[in-house]
Amino acid sequence: MNRIIFTLLCALILSCMSSCHKVEEYANDPRGNFEALWTILDEHYCFFEEKGVDWDAVHDKYARRIGDEMTREELFIVCADMLDELRDGHVNLTAPFNTSYYRKWWSDYPQNFSERLIEEAYFNFNYRQSSGMMFGILSENIGYIRYSSFSTPIGEGNLDNVLYFLRNTQGLIIDIRDNGGGNLTNVRTLVARFITEPTVVGYISHKTGPGHNDFSEPRAFTYNPADIGRIRWGKPVIVLTNRSTFSAANNFASIMKFLPGVRIVGATTGGGSGLPYSSEIPCGWSVRFSACSMLDADRVSTEGGVEPSEGCAIDMNPQDALQGKDSILEFAIALLQSNIIPTQTPTENT
Amino acid sequence: MIKRLLLLLTVIVPTLQLKAIDRDSTETILRPVFAAYTVEAGSAHLTDTYLTPLKYDGWHAAIDYQRYQAMKFSPENWTMRLHLNLTADKTDNPARNASMWSLMLAADWGMMHKFRPVENLTLALGGSTGIEIGCLYNDRNGNNPASAKAAWTVNLTGFASYRTQLWKIPVTLTYHPTLPLTGIFFSPDYGELYYEIYLGDHSGLVHGAWWGNYFSLDNQLSADFSFGSTNLRLGYHGKIFSSKVNDIVTNIFTHAFTIGISGEWISINPRKGIPAKTRIINALY
Repeated sequence: MNRIIFTLLCALILSCMSSCHKVEEYANDPRGNFEALWTILDEHYCFFEEKGVDWDAVHDKYARRIGDEMTREELFIVCADMLDELRDGHVNLTAPFNTSYYRKWWSDYPQNFSERLIEEAYFNFNYRQSSGMMFGILSENIGYIRYSSFSTPIGEGNLDNVLYFLRNTQGLIIDIRDNGGGNLTNVRTLVARFITEPTVVGYISHKTGPGHNDFSEPRAFTYNPADIGRIRWGKPVIVLTNRSTFSAANNFASIMKFLPGVRIVGATTGGGSGLPYSSEIPCGWSVRFSACSMLDADRVSTEGGVEPSEGCAIDMNPQDALQGKDSILEFAIALLQSNIIPTQTPTENT
Repeated sequence: MIKRLLLLLTVIVPTLQLKAIDRDSTETILRPVFAAYTVEAGSAHLTDTYLTPLKYDGWHAAIDYQRYQAMKFSPENWTMRLHLNLTADKTDNPARNASMWSLMLAADWGMMHKFRPVENLTLALGGSTGIEIGCLYNDRNGNNPASAKAAWTVNLTGFASYRTQLWKIPVTLTYHPTLPLTGIFFSPDYGELYYEIYLGDHSGLVHGAWWGNYFSLDNQLSADFSFGSTNLRLGYHGKIFSSKVNDIVTNIFTHAFTIGISGEWISINPRKGIPAKTRIINALY
């Protein structure tokens, strides 16, 4: 009996020692933190191949700038510069004293939007607001909704009221310029008002392992139309975009572009199609990066942005703006008045 | 329906002289329930690479319930245990600027065959099956704030129980380990966000468990000091959990001091009373 007990105890101890899975640890010094950051991105970031980034070469380039005596501020600058190589607005390094942010995805492009211009020149500051949406009827009897952030929840009842208020207009303009994204469930809520049947709106592919090419097969995801009793919009729709239309707003544009009776007008969006994932390094700084790639309904990546519909690319003319005109909005109004965009379905489903 | 009342009877350890009782075929066998209610406080060490590659340390708290009873079909040789455990851990990263919480509920039931190699010592070995559900939550993460845990396992379990006296107080020392052998458990893919699962991608979420990808060892060491009708239970509860699937590693190590009460209870029909010839078979002895 004693031998049995002894054997069992030995088995337990040995199994315990051999079965605890190790996690690689890094020292909390400049080099350890740098290596931890590089490794997190190396194993989880999803756009290396698509963007042609040689991450090993990036390591060699920036590892040379790491010194044992460097300050946290100096370390942060090196790490932030390294992350900028990814050219991704979803990549941020956050320290108590600063947050890195790659800005060139929009700073190198015309802004193409002035909120004040819309509010003053087109509505004389007389517009309605509901659930994060600013809306009203333009003088050409065209409905206008400005949704500035997908972080603001959209209430179903609010949407009903907004669409009902605009029901007698000849078309609808949804302005998501400068919309930096937010919650994808708000995209789903909004899109549901413009489809009449379950619709494949895109694909998602995630990392299946630490290798740069370890990806799952893109999987379709489907949105359903709004529930019976909710107001659905069947008249022509134009979505206004600029380079600062990013992340969830980029996703909204990529979905709407495939719907009949919808046109994307303005400039190519800013992209940001990767779903962000969070992690951290030993010194406590957090890092956010793209981990899952979202594709459009044609399985094409929109990380580089969603282009306007054919013939609908337009920038804002500064001269027009000085005269109180938004060139992109004017283009959209003219397009709706031309009646070349087909009507989809009955406007209300009650 | 006869309304049964639950009577609380104390069966004081030294009075249980099983060997002295004649084995009469007409005797009624009573199988008291040995139950223990404890609270735990100690330390927790959490790592979940789905959330962070860093090791978090902090406090651990839990409530624990154990119920032992001799089996009806062979009460002298077989005993069962029902075990429930609810834990809450709160840990911080090394820089102490982020927190990770763990909330877990575990329940298992098992049967064990008893051996009595020497006087006052009982050994038991058997199997159990149980579930464990919960999640780890990291308050700084955006789209990956939580790592859900769910498992159903088949376990090797047993105990060693030794009766003695300390400072003239009857005390029962018990060590009860539980070691899952196999089962199934939940895990998302390496970089899969729960949003994808929400959208309907339910493939590849369930995995077969074996020691290579799922190892857990639950160690409970207790000393029951008998003070008349109730025991004071003091002890240690340690748990080692380590899993690796889809290149996601989770390590949960907890060590806790336990304190609570324990005792033996018999449910008797008051209309029938206690039969003249009875034999009490304890769960642990």
